[in-house]
Amino acid sequence: MALLSMKNISKSFFGKMANSQVCFDLEPGEIHALLGENGAGKTTLMNILYGIYSRDSGDIFWKGQKVSFTSPRDAIAFQIGMVHQHFMLVPTLTVSQNITLGLKEKGYPFTDRKALNATITEVAQKYGLQIDVNAYISNLSVGEQQRVEIIKLLYRDAELLILDEPTAMLTPQETEYFFEVLRKLRADGHSVIIITHRIPEIMSISDRVTVLRDGYNVVTAKTSDISEQELSRYMIGRQLQIIQREAVVSDTGSEGISLEEVSLKEKGRERLNSLSLQIAPGEIVGVAGVDGNGQKELVEVILGIRKQSSGKIRMDGVDMSSMSVLERKKLGIGYISDDRHQDGLVMDMSLTDNILLKTHTDRRFIKHGLINTRLVRAETQKAVEDYAIKTPGLNTPLRYLSGGNQQKLILAREMAGNPKAIIAHQPTRGLDIGATEFVQQQLLQHRSNGCSILLISADLEEVLLLSDRIAVLYKGCFMGIFPNTPELNLSQIGLLMAGKTSEARKESL
Amino acid sequence: MKQFGKLLSYLGIAFLTLSISILLILLVGSSVTQAFSSFLSGIFGSFYSVSEVMVKATPLILTGLGVAVGSRSGFINIGAEGQLYMGAIAVTFIAFWLNDLPAMVMIPLVILGGFVFGGIWSVIPGFLKARFGISEVITTLMFNYIALSIVGILVRTLLKDPASSLPMSAFLPDGATLPTLISTTRLHAGILVALISVVLVWLLVWKTPTGYEMRAVGLNPRASKCAGISVYKNIILSSLISGGLAGIAGVCEVSGLHHKLLEGISPGYGYIAIIVALLGKNHPVGVVISALGIAALQVGSLGMQRMAGVPTSISSIIMGVVVLLILARKSLFRRLLTDE
Repeated sequence: MALLSMKNISKSFFGKMANSQVCFDLEPGEIHALLGENGAGKTTLMNILYGIYSRDSGDIFWKGQKVSFTSPRDAIAFQIGMVHQHFMLVPTLTVSQNITLGLKEKGYPFTDRKALNATITEVAQKYGLQIDVNAYISNLSVGEQQRVEIIKLLYRDAELLILDEPTAMLTPQETEYFFEVLRKLRADGHSVIIITHRIPEIMSISDRVTVLRDGYNVVTAKTSDISEQELSRYMIGRQLQIIQREAVVSDTGSEGISLEEVSLKEKGRERLNSLSLQIAPGEIVGVAGVDGNGQKELVEVILGIRKQSSGKIRMDGVDMSSMSVLERKKLGIGYISDDRHQDGLVMDMSLTDNILLKTHTDRRFIKHGLINTRLVRAETQKAVEDYAIKTPGLNTPLRYLSGGNQQKLILAREMAGNPKAIIAHQPTRGLDIGATEFVQQQLLQHRSNGCSILLISADLEEVLLLSDRIAVLYKGCFMGIFPNTPELNLSQIGLLMAGKTSEARKESL
Repeated sequence: MKQFGKLLSYLGIAFLTLSISILLILLVGSSVTQAFSSFLSGIFGSFYSVSEVMVKATPLILTGLGVAVGSRSGFINIGAEGQLYMGAIAVTFIAFWLNDLPAMVMIPLVILGGFVFGGIWSVIPGFLKARFGISEVITTLMFNYIALSIVGILVRTLLKDPASSLPMSAFLPDGATLPTLISTTRLHAGILVALISVVLVWLLVWKTPTGYEMRAVGLNPRASKCAGISVYKNIILSSLISGGLAGIAGVCEVSGLHHKLLEGISPGYGYIAIIVALLGKNHPVGVVISALGIAALQVGSLGMQRMAGVPTSISSIIMGVVVLLILARKSLFRRLLTDE
């Protein structure tokens, strides 16, 4: 008998079907991957199971019994637990406090913290999850935080664990370690649903896989019976285009963007440590590294959003170290932020107003002191057409556009007027394969136009795909800058990303 | 469907408000029909009563506009009341100091003075917010008490009318008074000042690059910063304009209506302004409509008290009910508004 069975689940948002008649079965003790592009309805389906969304129609059976959860609390009572893509932890509390958060333990409100800690450690060690129960969440790495989330579920006796994109922020080595934990969980009789869009990981970890596309389930198969090519075809409905990087010879004679021993100190901590880098016109330099090792700081120092403590930043030989954000952008820098909701867009403003975010100081758009609305609308219309942005209208607030279309608007804005440099931080985060390909092609297009591009991505594959050179960033230091050739030693890069310099040196010998 | 659901939800609010008003009227033992007819005739009954609505709406429009401008850039101004009084102080000072100027010069001067005084009263909290991150909700509110006390001191000392034993200033010189528009009413040129301000603010906030920056900062300061917009500058600017408009409200009340400075020239306009801005969705046109609506509610309830013996405090209760219902609308009528 199936442990969990979801039958004909349908759910629509704003009249758009997110799930249409989706069926999903889970056997006890299996790792089942849920594969699909972003927006295919994977997370929606799991949120319906977990009681976060209500379904429009369909039934859910848990151990043969018909269930209907209206909140995660209900789901947890039935021993179902979920780790969201964005962790739900309180940074100012300790690991132990986070794990027992919301539970009324014996003796509440005077809980015996020592006894609890012992239980937590016992649970954690059983599955090889190493954690310091007294550490504060804010001091933990992403990988460690993920462990806390998993321990939290195990502590609540979860029999089924739902993991939403669990490997998105991990290094290759951390991922391997994480998969080991999953295998131990499976051996112990737990079932796992893992949501992902990374096919190689599915091949290595899952027993069965269900593919969703546009809200429909396309196929469910044993992983051993299906190939990577078949999976990718099921997932995107067509063959993937292979992106080709052609050599670009730049003869513009300009210097591009250069950093000279740039350091950043904040609150007594060294965020960036004497970084030097030059990006020639027509070159893409990719930065590989685990999130939170200074990527954001690096990007924001170049843009002038934060001020470096020392060092110089030049653009075509012009020292812009002390310029404002606006002055730097006017030198021709396009900026794609990793957090489009917070940094890149004003979600409650229309498309037109978001285009203005970069152009409102541009003389072309101002007539007699007033904004030339007609011209801005024309510009926005052009962006919508050129970048095939799907929107009900130019006045629609950005909030109602899909992630891919929001990102396209940022591209349209930041790539307008042939910038001399583009700082792209996680430009394809959260995008489906089609949109990702589009963004990557745009970057290559600008590369061949002689643009200097800094590409920062947590996705090593992407860095390898697009970059001419790869810089590895760890704790604010460049661990090395390597030309991206077929001879590149990947495990060496992986070790450097984790800061293991000596092991990486052994690897390279 | 979406528009229809929205309409229904507002009708629902109207219905609930009406039911609660009826209950309250029954509770004080008055006849409902008499209460409603006297309410309506209190507003539309005569030329004078309609003009009274406009008189009350004038300070509400100006202060409400000020609060709205602040909200647009994330400056929550609870201090319109104090800023209004600072404007009132400004006009009295200037009028007695330069007492022989002709109206042509004097009127623009006192309006400017009121703007500056009210603006300063609001820029100080604005600066504290922009520079040190101190909550403007607290500081603007506290500044109200300071302003009220300053008025109290001034009307007993520096600005006191020596000919009177009451704590109030002498009558302003003629040059500093706003003309009455219609001779048999109290309606003064302040309403024109208010409407001109509405147009100017609309132009500034919705049509200029500066206004665009202010709105962007209000909706997403982080994205604004990343785009090179100075959050600091825009908070300072919007707090200045926000307080300045409330200051002009004070000028209009003194120059147009009371013709002298005294305590209690505002029965809480600066606080009702927050409701005006809220109901008007922080849009200049919305502010005018909601200011007129609230003014009518107050004037009408006076009529209700006179003719049907229903206490005016009912109007405050109803105002509170409307605000609550509007704030709770999306949860109350969730089924109607699935798409919002």
